[in-house]
Amino acid sequence: MRAAGITLISIALTCAVIGNAYYQKKQFYPSVVYITKSNPSMAFFFQVIYIQGLILVFMINTFLRKIFFGNLRAAELEHLVEKAWYAVTETCLAFTVFRDDFSPKFIALFTLLLFLKSFHWLAEDRVDYMERSPVITWLFHLRVGSLLSLLFGANLTMIQYAYDSTLAKGASVQLVFGFEYAILLTVVLNITIKYVLHTIDLQSENPWDNKPVFLLYTELIIGLLKVILYVTFVMIMVRIYTLPLFAFRPMYYTMRNFKKAFHDIVMSRRAIRNMNTLYPDATPEELAAADNVCIICREEMVSASKKLPCNHIFHTACLRSWFQRQQTCPTCRLNILRPTTNTPGTRPQNQPEAGQPAPQPAQAPGANQHGQGFQIPSFWANWQAPGAAQQPQGQNNAPNVPLPPFQPLTPGGVPLFAPPFPPMVPLPPVPTPPPNLTTLSEEELRAMEGNMRQAVEARIETLQRVQLLLDAANAMMNQYQTAAATANIPVPTSIPTTTSTAETSQTKVPDLSVIKETASTSAGESPASSSNEPTPSTSRADNETRDEQEMLRRRRLQKFSSQGTAE
Amino acid sequence: MITDNLYVNIMAGSALRRLMAEYKQLTLNPPEGIIAGPINEENFFEWEALITGPEGTCFEGGVFPAKLIFPPDYPLSPPKMQFTCEMFHPNIYADGRVCISILHAPGDDPMGYESSAERWSPVQSVEKILLSVVSMLAEPNDESGANVDAAKMWREDRPEFERIAQKLVRKTLGIPC
Repeated sequence: MRAAGITLISIALTCAVIGNAYYQKKQFYPSVVYITKSNPSMAFFFQVIYIQGLILVFMINTFLRKIFFGNLRAAELEHLVEKAWYAVTETCLAFTVFRDDFSPKFIALFTLLLFLKSFHWLAEDRVDYMERSPVITWLFHLRVGSLLSLLFGANLTMIQYAYDSTLAKGASVQLVFGFEYAILLTVVLNITIKYVLHTIDLQSENPWDNKPVFLLYTELIIGLLKVILYVTFVMIMVRIYTLPLFAFRPMYYTMRNFKKAFHDIVMSRRAIRNMNTLYPDATPEELAAADNVCIICREEMVSASKKLPCNHIFHTACLRSWFQRQQTCPTCRLNILRPTTNTPGTRPQNQPEAGQPAPQPAQAPGANQHGQGFQIPSFWANWQAPGAAQQPQGQNNAPNVPLPPFQPLTPGGVPLFAPPFPPMVPLPPVPTPPPNLTTLSEEELRAMEGNMRQAVEARIETLQRVQLLLDAANAMMNQYQTAAATANIPVPTSIPTTTSTAETSQTKVPDLSVIKETASTSAGESPASSSNEPTPSTSRADNETRDEQEMLRRRRLQKFSSQGTAE
Repeated sequence: MITDNLYVNIMAGSALRRLMAEYKQLTLNPPEGIIAGPINEENFFEWEALITGPEGTCFEGGVFPAKLIFPPDYPLSPPKMQFTCEMFHPNIYADGRVCISILHAPGDDPMGYESSAERWSPVQSVEKILLSVVSMLAEPNDESGANVDAAKMWREDRPEFERIAQKLVRKTLGIPC
């Protein structure tokens, strides 16, 4: 309404000026001469002409907008106003640097830039809207296609123009315009890629899983391009003029977006790799046990679903797109990146720990209560500690997991160690520890981590080795006791022996439960089952305790191996 | 109409399908005191909701209209919610935008106090959002302070706050104060 009013008034004024001239001179040529010669009417006329020009541009803009976009949605209009505000402020800041170049032509160029920019924003909004609108007509494709090619051409022309004029006349405000159009060119590129991706997505019947991946990469590449452009521009500006304050806000946002895109890609790749390699496909029974609806898309899961370590099941495709944003379980927010980032990452950190004395028995059940699984670090540390601290012959352990050096520990071999110096101070029995883990390569360690059959087998094997160690310790204990009995050693000296055995076997037992818990959580069983296991008591008589522990151990191993085979 | 919907179902992305599922769910078993649905069936990404003020609070009896705007990647990103009537509440901005943690994606924390456990995740739904808003009406979180004046008044001058709330309730019902 207001625009129409201004238009009418300015048209009336123009008509009045021209009419006045014509009325005075009566002929066309003299009246033109009069208008251009007479000073007051000149000034007035040109002011009116400027307003006219602006209104003309505005009308062309509205007209083009109608052609290419039809009616704007409220959200689009809001974005437009918001972005236009920033653009105008920043360009005004830019003018302070180039105040000497200020001229009507400059204003015309600036207006043109603003309008082209507004078309870019609108095109971006429109293409984003493609994802939401259910039906895309051919008119939409025609509009977006022609608009994008038009914008592309306009940007190229303007860059060419800026380049030529900079070459011809040296650095001027054209530098800023050229740079702005170069940025706009990347925007057009970005929109075009998005448009193509959305179109492909719309053509196919099923949702296209890889589209977000492509979108992420597009963002990364365009972000990189923009960052390079901004940095170059700022460097050029600093060298020729002064610090371009007006470029800082967009530069900051561009860099932040780039960093975010980079971070997103790295994290989502990691999460998706985890998903593909570590987490098992949900079995039909598991699907039937749960209510069979993917909580992300609220649709039934018939195929292609994955189970996370926390037992929650989702569509593989839904999980993938969620992992592109967050690397947590949607239901319980378990950080799914932690287990894998920890295994390679914390191993070196745990090496000093391994050198410390063996953890107290009381600590191990405490570690148990951490719940939630992923106790690999403490588990490794516990496990390694006795070997590293007490056992010099740990070095002859082969670094290979599947080939354990267990020949000396077979029941026949144990007595060889047993009575070296029967009357001497009763040392705690020192069995051969499991393979030294520091010598394992990254892959072998990782192989022990996974849920695949092979990994589970490796774990069971290691557990069996632990059991063997404990049996050996028992056997040695018996040996010591018989030796002590035959040598008639007074009772008090044998008491420390027994308590220390109880202690060592106890340090082992919590270890086992930790192992079991880790295994069970990574195998997807509820961690709660292990928390209520009875802990062996130290106060009982030696034999009794041993038998009880033996039974407990058997039960656990049995449970564990049944889990392993179920897997 | 049926063929149209079928067509939409085939063509639409997962966001649209999920929104349709939620709409169906909400119309089949509507939670008490909440009505919500798309403003028009052409565009499922803009919803309108009517929330009745929880009983036993100063907002009791009011019917508050709000609109929900869903992002194209819903449910991976949270929707935005804005009351379209005048509101005076510590967790509602002056322009009606609702500020509760369930509507914020982990990572952005406008007020710097929310734990990520109560943030948006695809498990949430329109129904849960609206129920959270109802409980927010009943128990404002005066630490968040989207509307500082309201938060201050809620803390220090409860009767005045209740008086304003009652006035708003009358306004939404079209009763002269």
